[in-house]
Amino acid sequence: MFTRDMTFTDVERLDRIAAEAVGTFVMDEDAFRAFYDRTARSVWSYLARITGDRTLADDLLQESYYRFLRAERRFDSESHRRNYLFRIATNIVRDHRRRPRMDQSRLADGHDAAEPIDPQSADAAAGAVRRLDLARSMARLKPRERDLLWLAYAQGSSHKEIAETLGLKTASVKLLLFRARQRLARFLREGVR
Amino acid sequence: MSGNECPREADILEAIAFGRWPDGCGDLSAHAASCEVCADLVEVAVALHDDRAALCREAQPPSSGMVWWRATIRARAEATRTATQPISVLQGIAGACVVGAAAGLVTIAWQSMHWMDRIGELAMRLESRRADIATASTFATGHGLPILVAVAAGLVLAPLALYITLADD
Repeated sequence: MFTRDMTFTDVERLDRIAAEAVGTFVMDEDAFRAFYDRTARSVWSYLARITGDRTLADDLLQESYYRFLRAERRFDSESHRRNYLFRIATNIVRDHRRRPRMDQSRLADGHDAAEPIDPQSADAAAGAVRRLDLARSMARLKPRERDLLWLAYAQGSSHKEIAETLGLKTASVKLLLFRARQRLARFLREGVR
Repeated sequence: MSGNECPREADILEAIAFGRWPDGCGDLSAHAASCEVCADLVEVAVALHDDRAALCREAQPPSSGMVWWRATIRARAEATRTATQPISVLQGIAGACVVGAAAGLVTIAWQSMHWMDRIGELAMRLESRRADIATASTFATGHGLPILVAVAAGLVLAPLALYITLADD
Protein backbone atom coordinates (compact mmCIF):
# COMPACT_ATOMS: atom_id res chain seq x y z
CA MET A 1 0.00 0.00 0.00
CA PHE A 2 1.38 3.39 -0.94
CA THR A 3 1.08 6.28 1.46
CA ARG A 4 -0.96 8.27 -1.05
CA ASP A 5 -3.51 5.45 -1.15
CA MET A 6 -4.00 5.44 2.62
CA THR A 7 -7.11 6.77 4.22
CA PHE A 8 -7.11 8.49 7.60
CA THR A 9 -8.35 5.25 9.08
CA ASP A 10 -5.35 3.39 7.64
CA VAL A 11 -2.93 5.95 9.03
CA GLU A 12 -4.54 5.78 12.45
CA ARG A 13 -4.50 2.00 12.39
CA LEU A 14 -0.83 1.84 11.37
CA ASP A 15 0.06 4.42 13.98
CA ARG A 16 -1.65 2.29 16.60
CA ILE A 17 0.17 -0.83 15.40
CA ALA A 18 3.50 1.03 15.49
CA ALA A 19 2.85 2.25 19.02
CA GLU A 20 1.95 -1.29 20.09
CA ALA A 21 5.24 -2.56 18.65
CA VAL A 22 7.18 -0.47 21.17
CA GLY A 23 4.88 -1.83 23.88
CA THR A 24 6.15 -5.34 23.12
CA PHE A 25 9.69 -4.51 24.28
CA VAL A 26 10.88 -6.56 27.24
CA MET A 27 11.30 -3.46 29.38
CA ASP A 28 10.24 0.14 29.49
CA GLU A 29 12.52 3.04 28.64
CA ASP A 30 13.72 3.80 32.16
CA ALA A 31 14.54 0.18 32.93
CA PHE A 32 16.26 -0.20 29.57
CA ARG A 33 18.40 2.87 30.01
CA ALA A 34 19.56 1.72 33.42
CA PHE A 35 20.30 -1.78 32.12
CA TYR A 36 22.11 -0.38 29.08
CA ASP A 37 24.27 1.90 31.20
CA ARG A 38 25.28 -1.09 33.32
CA THR A 39 26.10 -3.40 30.42
CA ALA A 40 26.95 -1.47 27.25
CA ARG A 41 30.68 -1.14 27.85
CA SER A 42 31.05 -4.84 28.66
CA VAL A 43 29.08 -5.88 25.60
CA TRP A 44 30.96 -3.46 23.37
CA SER A 45 34.31 -4.74 24.68
CA TYR A 46 33.22 -8.31 24.03
CA LEU A 47 32.10 -7.47 20.50
CA ALA A 48 35.21 -5.43 19.77
CA ARG A 49 37.55 -8.19 20.90
CA ILE A 50 35.82 -11.19 19.30
CA THR A 51 35.31 -9.39 15.99
CA GLY A 52 38.57 -7.43 16.12
CA ASP A 53 36.76 -4.43 14.67
CA ARG A 54 35.60 -1.49 16.76
CA THR A 55 33.41 0.02 14.07
CA LEU A 56 31.68 -3.28 13.58
CA ALA A 57 31.28 -3.56 17.35
CA ASP A 58 29.35 -0.26 17.30
CA ASP A 59 26.89 -1.62 14.75
CA LEU A 60 26.52 -4.99 16.41
CA LEU A 61 25.97 -3.34 19.79
CA GLN A 62 22.86 -1.56 18.51
CA GLU A 63 21.62 -4.76 16.90
CA SER A 64 22.21 -6.76 20.08
CA TYR A 65 20.15 -4.41 22.22
CA TYR A 66 17.40 -4.24 19.63
CA ARG A 67 17.06 -8.00 19.51
CA PHE A 68 17.18 -8.08 23.29
CA LEU A 69 14.33 -5.59 23.49
CA ARG A 70 12.25 -7.65 21.04
CA ALA A 71 12.96 -10.93 22.87
CA GLU A 72 9.74 -12.61 23.86
CA ARG A 73 10.82 -13.97 27.21
CA ARG A 74 10.88 -13.27 30.90
CA PHE A 75 14.05 -12.95 32.91
CA ASP A 76 14.44 -14.33 36.41
CA SER A 77 17.34 -12.10 37.39
CA GLU A 78 19.83 -9.50 36.28
CA SER A 79 22.35 -12.26 35.65
CA HIS A 80 19.88 -14.13 33.44
CA ARG A 81 19.15 -10.95 31.51
CA ARG A 82 22.83 -10.19 31.07
CA ASN A 83 23.66 -13.73 29.93
CA TYR A 84 20.86 -13.58 27.41
CA LEU A 85 22.23 -10.30 26.06
CA PHE A 86 25.67 -11.87 25.61
CA ARG A 87 24.04 -14.83 23.93
CA ILE A 88 22.35 -12.51 21.45
CA ALA A 89 25.64 -10.71 20.84
CA THR A 90 27.41 -14.03 20.24
CA ASN A 91 24.76 -15.14 17.76
CA ILE A 92 24.90 -11.85 15.91
CA VAL A 93 28.65 -12.17 15.54
CA ARG A 94 28.22 -15.76 14.31
CA ASP A 95 25.66 -14.62 11.75
CA HIS A 96 28.00 -11.89 10.66
CA ARG A 97 30.89 -14.34 10.27
CA ARG A 98 28.78 -16.45 7.93
CA ARG A 99 28.22 -13.53 5.61
CA PRO A 100 30.65 -13.66 2.70
CA ARG A 101 31.10 -9.91 2.62
CA MET A 102 32.77 -9.81 6.02
CA ASP A 103 36.24 -8.36 5.88
CA GLN A 104 38.17 -11.03 7.75
CA SER A 105 41.51 -9.40 7.14
CA ARG A 106 41.08 -6.92 9.98
CA LEU A 107 40.46 -9.71 12.43
CA ALA A 108 43.35 -11.82 11.18
CA ASP A 109 45.81 -8.96 11.38
CA GLY A 110 44.60 -7.78 14.73
CA HIS A 111 44.23 -4.24 13.43
CA ASP A 112 42.08 -1.94 15.40
CA ALA A 113 43.06 -3.87 18.47
CA ALA A 114 44.67 -1.24 20.60
CA GLU A 115 44.99 2.45 20.85
CA PRO A 116 47.97 4.04 19.08
CA ILE A 117 51.13 3.80 21.15
CA ASP A 118 51.89 6.94 23.06
CA PRO A 119 55.68 7.39 22.83
CA GLN A 120 55.59 9.67 25.88
CA SER A 121 54.71 6.86 28.17
CA ALA A 122 56.76 3.69 28.42
CA ASP A 123 54.06 1.96 30.43
CA ALA A 124 51.41 2.88 27.93
CA ALA A 125 53.62 1.67 25.10
CA ALA A 126 54.28 -1.64 26.81
CA GLY A 127 50.58 -2.02 27.54
CA ALA A 128 49.67 -1.30 23.94
CA VAL A 129 52.19 -3.86 22.70
CA ARG A 130 50.76 -6.47 25.08
CA ARG A 131 47.26 -5.74 23.81
CA LEU A 132 48.38 -5.95 20.22
CA ASP A 133 49.94 -9.33 20.98
CA LEU A 134 46.69 -10.41 22.59
CA ALA A 135 44.64 -9.23 19.62
CA ARG A 136 46.85 -11.10 17.18
CA SER A 137 46.87 -14.21 19.32
CA MET A 138 43.09 -14.10 19.69
CA ALA A 139 42.78 -13.76 15.94
CA ARG A 140 44.62 -17.07 15.56
CA LEU A 141 42.04 -18.87 17.69
CA LYS A 142 38.80 -20.37 16.50
CA PRO A 143 35.78 -18.10 16.98
CA ARG A 144 34.35 -20.34 19.69
CA GLU A 145 37.65 -20.34 21.56
CA ARG A 146 37.68 -16.56 21.55
CA ASP A 147 34.12 -16.48 22.89
CA LEU A 148 34.91 -19.00 25.61
CA LEU A 149 38.08 -17.30 26.81
CA TRP A 150 36.60 -13.83 26.86
CA LEU A 151 33.51 -14.89 28.75
CA ALA A 152 35.52 -16.90 31.26
CA TYR A 153 38.48 -14.64 31.97
CA ALA A 154 37.46 -11.14 30.89
CA GLN A 155 33.78 -11.32 31.73
CA GLY A 156 34.15 -13.66 34.71
CA SER A 157 31.25 -15.89 33.70
CA SER A 158 30.79 -19.29 35.33
CA HIS A 159 30.88 -22.48 33.26
CA LYS A 160 27.11 -22.71 33.49
CA GLU A 161 26.69 -19.14 32.24
CA ILE A 162 29.15 -19.75 29.41
CA ALA A 163 27.27 -22.89 28.42
CA GLU A 164 24.00 -20.93 28.30
CA THR A 165 25.53 -18.10 26.35
CA LEU A 166 27.28 -20.25 23.77
CA GLY A 167 24.72 -23.04 23.58
CA LEU A 168 27.12 -25.70 24.88
CA LYS A 169 26.81 -28.40 27.50
CA THR A 170 28.15 -27.28 30.87
CA ALA A 171 30.25 -30.42 31.10
CA SER A 172 32.01 -29.61 27.82
CA VAL A 173 32.93 -26.08 28.80
CA LYS A 174 35.72 -27.06 31.17
CA LEU A 175 37.63 -29.12 28.62
CA LEU A 176 37.06 -26.69 25.74
CA LEU A 177 38.17 -23.84 27.93
CA PHE A 178 41.29 -25.69 29.03
CA ARG A 179 42.31 -26.37 25.42
CA ALA A 180 41.59 -22.82 24.30
CA ARG A 181 43.57 -21.46 27.24
CA GLN A 182 46.53 -23.66 26.40
CA ARG A 183 46.53 -22.45 22.79
CA LEU A 184 46.21 -18.78 23.70
CA ALA A 185 48.95 -19.03 26.34
CA ARG A 186 51.25 -20.61 23.75
CA PHE A 187 50.47 -17.92 21.17
CA LEU A 188 51.05 -15.18 23.73
CA ARG A 189 54.42 -16.61 24.71
CA GLU A 190 55.39 -16.95 21.05
CA GLY A 191 54.38 -13.34 20.53
CA VAL A 192 56.49 -12.15 23.44
CA ARG A 193 59.59 -13.92 22.18
CA MET B 1 43.28 -33.32 40.42
CA SER B 2 43.51 -34.20 36.72
CA GLY B 3 46.10 -33.10 34.19
CA ASN B 4 44.01 -30.17 33.02
CA GLU B 5 43.05 -28.59 36.31
CA CYS B 6 44.58 -27.37 39.54
CA PRO B 7 42.80 -26.70 42.85
CA ARG B 8 44.44 -23.27 43.10
CA GLU B 9 42.97 -21.95 39.83
CA ALA B 10 40.03 -20.35 41.60
CA ASP B 11 42.31 -18.48 44.03
CA ILE B 12 44.46 -17.18 41.18
CA LEU B 13 41.42 -16.10 39.16
CA GLU B 14 40.00 -14.30 42.15
CA ALA B 15 43.28 -12.47 42.78
CA ILE B 16 43.41 -11.36 39.14
CA ALA B 17 39.75 -10.35 39.05
CA PHE B 18 40.11 -8.19 42.16
CA GLY B 19 43.39 -6.63 41.05
CA ARG B 20 45.51 -8.29 43.72
CA TRP B 21 47.77 -10.10 41.27
CA PRO B 22 50.76 -10.40 41.53
CA ASP B 23 51.38 -8.08 44.51
CA GLY B 24 50.36 -9.67 47.75
CA CYS B 25 50.18 -13.14 46.21
CA GLY B 26 53.64 -14.44 47.05
CA ASP B 27 52.51 -17.98 47.77
CA LEU B 28 50.23 -18.12 44.73
CA SER B 29 52.87 -16.55 42.48
CA ALA B 30 55.37 -19.17 43.54
CA HIS B 31 52.83 -21.88 42.85
CA ALA B 32 51.96 -20.46 39.40
CA ALA B 33 55.65 -20.42 38.49
CA SER B 34 55.86 -24.14 39.13
CA CYS B 35 52.42 -25.29 37.91
CA GLU B 36 51.93 -25.55 34.16
CA VAL B 37 48.14 -25.27 34.38
CA CYS B 38 48.26 -22.17 36.56
CA ALA B 39 51.04 -20.61 34.47
CA ASP B 40 48.77 -20.79 31.40
CA LEU B 41 45.88 -19.49 33.45
CA VAL B 42 47.88 -16.47 34.65
CA GLU B 43 49.19 -15.72 31.16
CA VAL B 44 45.71 -15.74 29.65
CA ALA B 45 43.60 -14.35 32.48
CA VAL B 46 45.88 -11.37 33.16
CA ALA B 47 46.02 -10.46 29.47
CA LEU B 48 42.24 -10.71 29.03
CA HIS B 49 41.44 -8.98 32.31
CA ASP B 50 43.71 -6.03 31.48
CA ASP B 51 42.45 -5.89 27.92
CA ARG B 52 38.84 -5.78 29.04
CA ALA B 53 39.58 -3.00 31.51
CA ALA B 54 41.31 -0.98 28.78
CA LEU B 55 38.54 -1.62 26.25
CA CYS B 56 35.89 -0.59 28.76
CA ARG B 57 37.78 2.64 29.38
CA GLU B 58 38.09 3.34 25.67
CA ALA B 59 34.55 2.27 24.78
CA GLN B 60 32.32 5.05 23.56
CA PRO B 61 28.99 3.35 23.11
CA PRO B 62 26.08 5.53 21.99
CA SER B 63 23.90 6.93 24.74
CA SER B 64 21.10 4.79 26.12
CA GLY B 65 18.58 7.37 24.89
CA MET B 66 19.92 7.12 21.36
CA VAL B 67 19.81 3.33 21.37
CA TRP B 68 16.26 3.36 22.73
CA TRP B 69 15.14 5.90 20.17
CA ARG B 70 16.64 3.93 17.27
CA ALA B 71 15.03 0.76 18.58
CA THR B 72 11.59 2.37 18.76
CA ILE B 73 11.93 3.79 15.24
CA ARG B 74 12.93 0.40 13.90
CA ALA B 75 10.18 -1.45 15.79
CA ARG B 76 7.58 0.97 14.44
CA ALA B 77 8.88 0.62 10.89
CA GLU B 78 8.87 -3.18 11.13
CA ALA B 79 5.36 -3.22 12.58
CA THR B 80 4.07 -0.93 9.86
CA ARG B 81 5.71 -3.01 7.15
CA THR B 82 4.25 -6.20 8.61
CA ALA B 83 0.78 -4.64 8.83
CA THR B 84 0.77 -3.35 5.24
CA GLN B 85 2.22 -6.51 3.73
CA PRO B 86 -1.06 -8.54 3.66
CA ILE B 87 -2.89 -5.60 2.07
CA SER B 88 -0.30 -5.36 -0.69
CA VAL B 89 -0.53 -9.11 -1.29
CA LEU B 90 -4.34 -8.92 -1.48
CA GLN B 91 -4.13 -6.00 -3.87
CA GLY B 92 -1.81 -8.02 -6.08
CA ILE B 93 -4.14 -11.01 -6.05
CA ALA B 94 -7.13 -8.78 -6.82
CA GLY B 95 -5.26 -7.19 -9.73
CA ALA B 96 -4.36 -10.60 -11.13
CA CYS B 97 -8.00 -11.72 -10.81
CA VAL B 98 -9.21 -8.63 -12.65
CA VAL B 99 -6.74 -9.18 -15.49
CA GLY B 100 -7.69 -12.88 -15.71
CA ALA B 101 -11.40 -12.13 -15.68
CA ALA B 102 -11.00 -9.45 -18.35
CA ALA B 103 -9.01 -11.84 -20.56
CA GLY B 104 -11.70 -14.50 -20.11
CA LEU B 105 -14.48 -12.09 -20.99
CA VAL B 106 -12.67 -10.91 -24.11
CA THR B 107 -12.29 -14.54 -25.22
CA ILE B 108 -15.96 -15.23 -24.59
CA ALA B 109 -16.91 -12.07 -26.46
CA TRP B 110 -14.75 -13.08 -29.42
CA GLN B 111 -16.33 -16.54 -29.54
CA SER B 112 -19.78 -15.00 -29.22
CA MET B 113 -19.08 -12.87 -32.28
CA HIS B 114 -18.58 -16.04 -34.36
CA TRP B 115 -21.85 -17.42 -33.04
CA MET B 116 -23.56 -14.16 -33.89
CA ASP B 117 -22.24 -14.36 -37.46
CA ARG B 118 -23.59 -17.90 -37.83
CA ILE B 119 -26.93 -16.89 -36.40
CA GLY B 120 -26.97 -13.96 -38.81
CA GLU B 121 -26.25 -16.23 -41.77
CA LEU B 122 -29.03 -18.58 -40.72
CA ALA B 123 -31.37 -15.68 -40.32
CA MET B 124 -30.50 -14.40 -43.80
CA ARG B 125 -31.44 -17.79 -45.25
CA LEU B 126 -34.75 -17.68 -43.47
CA GLU B 127 -35.24 -14.03 -44.32
CA SER B 128 -38.23 -14.56 -46.56
CA ARG B 129 -40.16 -16.46 -43.93
CA ARG B 130 -38.95 -14.89 -40.69
CA ALA B 131 -38.00 -11.32 -41.31
CA ASP B 132 -38.26 -10.42 -37.60
CA ILE B 133 -35.60 -13.03 -36.62
CA ALA B 134 -33.23 -11.68 -39.26
CA THR B 135 -33.70 -8.17 -37.95
CA ALA B 136 -32.94 -9.25 -34.42
CA SER B 137 -29.87 -11.18 -35.53
CA THR B 138 -28.51 -8.25 -37.50
CA PHE B 139 -28.98 -6.03 -34.47
CA ALA B 140 -27.10 -8.52 -32.30
CA THR B 141 -24.24 -8.79 -34.80
CA GLY B 142 -23.87 -5.03 -34.97
CA HIS B 143 -24.13 -4.30 -31.24
CA GLY B 144 -22.95 -7.55 -29.60
CA LEU B 145 -19.40 -6.45 -28.79
CA PRO B 146 -20.31 -3.17 -27.11
CA ILE B 147 -22.88 -4.97 -25.00
CA LEU B 148 -20.40 -7.61 -23.92
CA VAL B 149 -17.75 -4.99 -23.14
CA ALA B 150 -20.27 -3.12 -21.02
CA VAL B 151 -21.15 -6.30 -19.11
CA ALA B 152 -17.46 -7.12 -18.61
CA ALA B 153 -16.70 -3.62 -17.37
CA GLY B 154 -19.54 -3.92 -14.91
CA LEU B 155 -18.20 -7.22 -13.63
CA VAL B 156 -14.72 -5.75 -13.16
CA LEU B 157 -15.75 -2.43 -11.69
CA ALA B 158 -18.38 -3.72 -9.29
CA PRO B 159 -15.90 -5.67 -7.04
CA LEU B 160 -13.46 -2.76 -7.14
CA ALA B 161 -16.18 -0.34 -6.08
CA LEU B 162 -17.15 -2.75 -3.32
CA TYR B 163 -13.53 -3.04 -2.14
CA ILE B 164 -13.01 0.71 -2.07
CA THR B 165 -16.24 1.18 -0.14
CA LEU B 166 -15.29 -1.44 2.43
CA ALA B 167 -11.71 -0.15 2.70
CA ASP B 168 -13.00 3.29 3.61
CA ASP B 169 -15.18 1.81 6.29
